[in-house]
Amino acid sequence: MYQTLLIRRYLTSRIMPLLAALAVLLCTAMVLIVWSVMGGFLNMLLASGRTMMGDVLISWPVVGMAHYQELIDDLEADPLVLAATPIVESPGLLATPDGSIAMVQVIGIDGRGYDRVTGYSDAVWWRNLEKPMPRDTDGDDPRLHADFTGVFEDALRMSGRDPRTGEDAPAMVLGVEVSQLNQRVPGGWYEPRYLQLRTDSATLSVLPISARGVAIDVQARSFPIVNQFRTGIYEVDARTVLVRLDALQEMLGMAAATRVRVPGSADADPLGLGVTLDERGEPVFAQPEIVGASPARVTTVLVRAQDGVSAQRLRDRTAEIYRDFAQRHGRAVPSPDSIPILTWEQRPSIAAFIGAVKKETGLVLFIFGFISMTSVFLVLAIFWSMVSEKTKDIGVLRAVGAGRAGVAWLYLGYGLAIGVVGATLGGLLALVVVHNINPIHDWMGSTLGLVVWDPSVYYFFEIPNRVEPSKAIMVMCAGVLFSVAGALLPAIKAAHMDPVKALRFE
Amino acid sequence: MSDRPATTPTETGLHAAQRRTDADAPMLRAIDVRKTYRLGRVNVPVLRGASMDVQRGEWVAILGASGSGKSTLLHLLGGLDRPDAPPGGGEIRFEGTGLRDMSRRALDQYRRRRVGFIFQFYHLLPELNVMENTLLSAMAAHSMGAYAANRGGLRARAESLLGAFGLAERLRHRPAELSGGERQRVAIARALMNEPDVLLADEPTGNLDRKTGDAILDRVAALRGETGQTIVMVTHDEEVARRADRVVRLEDGVVVRG
Repeated sequence: MYQTLLIRRYLTSRIMPLLAALAVLLCTAMVLIVWSVMGGFLNMLLASGRTMMGDVLISWPVVGMAHYQELIDDLEADPLVLAATPIVESPGLLATPDGSIAMVQVIGIDGRGYDRVTGYSDAVWWRNLEKPMPRDTDGDDPRLHADFTGVFEDALRMSGRDPRTGEDAPAMVLGVEVSQLNQRVPGGWYEPRYLQLRTDSATLSVLPISARGVAIDVQARSFPIVNQFRTGIYEVDARTVLVRLDALQEMLGMAAATRVRVPGSADADPLGLGVTLDERGEPVFAQPEIVGASPARVTTVLVRAQDGVSAQRLRDRTAEIYRDFAQRHGRAVPSPDSIPILTWEQRPSIAAFIGAVKKETGLVLFIFGFISMTSVFLVLAIFWSMVSEKTKDIGVLRAVGAGRAGVAWLYLGYGLAIGVVGATLGGLLALVVVHNINPIHDWMGSTLGLVVWDPSVYYFFEIPNRVEPSKAIMVMCAGVLFSVAGALLPAIKAAHMDPVKALRFE
Repeated sequence: MSDRPATTPTETGLHAAQRRTDADAPMLRAIDVRKTYRLGRVNVPVLRGASMDVQRGEWVAILGASGSGKSTLLHLLGGLDRPDAPPGGGEIRFEGTGLRDMSRRALDQYRRRRVGFIFQFYHLLPELNVMENTLLSAMAAHSMGAYAANRGGLRARAESLLGAFGLAERLRHRPAELSGGERQRVAIARALMNEPDVLLADEPTGNLDRKTGDAILDRVAALRGETGQTIVMVTHDEEVARRADRVVRLEDGVVVRG
């Protein structure tokens, strides 16, 4: 009983324990902030892996796979599948209205189908804000003033008015960080710099590759820019260009085509050019003979799972559906044994990166956790000094009948109380800091010129700002445990103090 | 104390053993007690075979010069310390039971219930107010549940004791806000809180002026008159010692008269 009273009094009447609580507070806050930001970064990476990708990919790069629409129909008939959509991916060269030329990743999409699988419409940037946030209304976000209904619709259609011909044509949607068309302002929105939607166009060049892996002719084409998109992942927003699927298929030689054969004998047309000479020696051009059709191809089919279906389960089911599909088409489609069917996490580029970040997060946590153990020694030093200072009080307690265990509990309980106070306040501090980490960072940038979070390095424009309750509880419990551990030796020292010597202590 | 109940909720095996002892035996005995302290490599004998008896209801003064071993003897009587190891260390007996035979827990219980200490320098806890300092010994003697159950009664007793010592208006004051005499009165109230069988006072007026010291001794004497409290008081002051029923004189660790 006396322990409770003394702990309360010691807590409120002395500076030293407040220093111990401060040490626990700082360590708790430090670990929780680091874990929240790093863990949040990892979570954002995991979430971003799905951006523009869906849950499962069936991918046959470069050459592409035929009969994809039939495959999509098969997939969408399955109850595990919400939607599937074809895309074509290719590297390309982009010449933008500001005069710059950049290497980009070109993705040919069917706007509405792509939206069903990836939620693409949420990433379309130039649109009217449905629920403007205070920072939007406080500032001067251009999206507050103009009507963007048309360009938003164009982004879903992937079509727009060609500024040269005035006719509706396949269009382009650029990542918002591609080139320097906009200026990102600290408030978080973009001021168009060189860009006029629906008026400007950009020229895209791609290199078709034959089935044998040989480059054919470079194909260049101008597209009207109808909108931009922003996923929040710098790498995607700065390097990706979306164009209409059929246009990119045409440029890459993946569109549906007719297969022809030029008739004629080897004797009459030894060069196989379809040209023979008539009796007068004049060239006669043979009419090509249609012998079949080459179906259109895409490099990837993206699949999205129904709610509650895991990516891995969907992958397994997709593999089964593809096997049936491949059996029907024989050698016309890639073999089910060789085509990669992966969850978004298994995509090699993502898996390697996420694995590295996971390890880095673990390492950083270990280091900071280890550093936080200094709080054990801080509490120990402070308690050791307090036990020395309170030697006479310990003698008095023993004289009135307090046992060794009771005295030990007094200091362990005191350590516990300091741990609880420090860890709780540390948790609250971390919550406030993490929740406001982006405004704090903006303020540091504008006032002190200190910019730690560079989107080009960290992939994301915003620092993760969520504290997971489970992490907070774990870190706070560790803070309390460290404090009790720090109090253990002083508590043992106090318990074993000779009461007579303690009473005579000066 | 005459009105002490025969048993208490915290009664231990010690009580049962005590009830078996001869009712005529001295309440507290020191039998050829020796105590040696070690200072560095040197053994310093403080008590060299001190013996004394204290009867129930008696006020005994242990008189001696500084360094004669009187405080050490008091600490041994109160179970705060133990005599030198046997054989030859002597023995302290309370109601016939040797303190050396008690377990550590039983000895804690002995200090909580059977004896109350008063020190020359009061030894109040500076963070606690007058009421809390007085209740400290009761808190040590009760578990949290038992204390909570008896809280009202214990507070009433503390208030009664403090009122008897003229401190009714100072319950919320911290020791730093009290005079020396007031502090010592709080210390006495704390020592009496658990109704101990023996009050062990170590130079209780040694740090006070004569007038204040006399007033405190007057109050202790009056209390003893009312309750028959057994008191063992250490002092180097002949005049203070004369207040006692009997004086035990200690010289160089040996009782020379008593």
